[in-house]
Amino acid sequence: MAEINFKITTDIIVKFISDSVRKNGFNNGILGVSGGIDSALVLDLTVKALGKDNTFALLMPYRTSSDDSLSDGKLICDKLGVNYEIIDITPSIDPYFDKYPTKNKTLIGNKCARERMSVLYDFSERKKALVVGTSNKTEILIGYSTLFGDSAAAFLPIGDLYKTEVIELAKYLGIPDPIIRKKPSADLWMDQTDEGEIGFKYETLDKILNDMVDRRYTEKEMVDSGIDREDIKKIKKMITGTQFKRTMPPITKIHNRTVGLDFRYPRDWNK
Amino acid sequence: MKVRIIQFSPVLGDIEANFEYHNLKIKEAVNHEIDLIVFPELSLSGYQLKDIIYDISKERIDRVLVGLMELSKNIDIVAGLPFESSPGIIYNSAIFFSGGEIIHNHKKVQLPNFGMFEEEMIFKAGENFRSFRIGNLNAGILICREILFPVNAYLYFLQNTDIIIAVSNSPHRGMAEDGFTSHKLWERLGEVYSINYHQNFIFCNRTGFEDGIGFGGGSFFAAPGKGIVNMGKYYDEQVIDITINEDDKRRSMISSNYLRDEKPDIILKELNRIIHG
Repeated sequence: MAEINFKITTDIIVKFISDSVRKNGFNNGILGVSGGIDSALVLDLTVKALGKDNTFALLMPYRTSSDDSLSDGKLICDKLGVNYEIIDITPSIDPYFDKYPTKNKTLIGNKCARERMSVLYDFSERKKALVVGTSNKTEILIGYSTLFGDSAAAFLPIGDLYKTEVIELAKYLGIPDPIIRKKPSADLWMDQTDEGEIGFKYETLDKILNDMVDRRYTEKEMVDSGIDREDIKKIKKMITGTQFKRTMPPITKIHNRTVGLDFRYPRDWNK
Repeated sequence: MKVRIIQFSPVLGDIEANFEYHNLKIKEAVNHEIDLIVFPELSLSGYQLKDIIYDISKERIDRVLVGLMELSKNIDIVAGLPFESSPGIIYNSAIFFSGGEIIHNHKKVQLPNFGMFEEEMIFKAGENFRSFRIGNLNAGILICREILFPVNAYLYFLQNTDIIIAVSNSPHRGMAEDGFTSHKLWERLGEVYSINYHQNFIFCNRTGFEDGIGFGGGSFFAAPGKGIVNMGKYYDEQVIDITINEDDKRRSMISSNYLRDEKPDIILKELNRIIHG
């Protein structure tokens, strides 16, 4: 993948965060800090945009979360001087699964992700702070997120950066080493890793996504450049199969003007 | 001639708030003895209008036009807005106001309609590239994508224009190691038009964000025979003052006269052959 200019990318994202928060009548931003690289990077960029006193972090471990998640979350908050609160979500999750038991890890993972969203939006109102999203382009494209969970946010500052670019930008901005070095994980269950679950190394995945999406290469061109045809097919399937996560739910048309179809207004209407 | 370029971010859809900003900047420019003030494309409305365009009534636009006409008694103005020529027929217009009147209304001919652009959904395309007078000088207006078709600037060149006022809402895109590739689109052509068409080329681009799309700024002035001589900041709002030296064009033409050596009859003959067979 071609290199991006980190200084300009940082500059644009910082301006975007500041613009998005202020034009919506807020001064503060709040985000869930998981101890992973995405939220650490977004926290850093939010502090650059709004200042540390206008940035709040929530650390929301579940009983199965790794110890590193909490300690790395604290590490980045302390480094940036950001006020944070630790909210253990276990008491909100476990009673539900006591009543509706499951061994399905996805169900537990999704429930945790949605609980974190719920807490974030509750604190959004308490702190008068807009929820800053931490999704990156790779996970948005392949739909590696929980609908109405970690994908819920007011805006997405790093949503057009591939995961490998997130890592490089995090290095450029001096995000602490332990956060950069550890294997990316949603930490929804023990020993979960993104790459293990997705079935691709981020480097391979991003190369294919970048060729397919940004460069508009044909399948033949990609295969000719040495990419496995089966990998291309798998990734295409991930993208098409998760389109519902990237769009508003469809509304069946009855009247002349239907929201999203012919009632078309920008989100920044009068802003 | 002293020209002021206003690189700024309008409020999307709030014509009245944007007019207030224009009013403020125009009055400042009058106090600073500026001759011509240039605002970006759709400076009074913002860019991604979608259905907002139908909520901007003709009456609201007319009030703004009257306001700008009044302000133009003291200074020449170029500003952009959706112009409804008859009910439901709306153009992406850049208008030159002077002496209390509308002197020229350029209606955008090439409306981008691909990817994130959907101008053909809301605007009717204009049909002309006509020059007009600004004091002693001859001028033409290009709006954003029109700049990217060198034949449009050529039509002004053949009308012996001295100034091309190019107004834009260019989103920055295509990040590479040395920054966004989109900036080069404009700067490359600014160099060509100033040198090969002997133009005082004024590029006025907006800044800010609309629904995540960022507009790149980077307004500039390229002088005849010299290329870019004043370069504005990328991304940030800025007021850029430039001076047009009326002798530059003559000097540029004496140095290498592209207008005298131009053969429009041959171009026309060849165009006829290509189009009509």
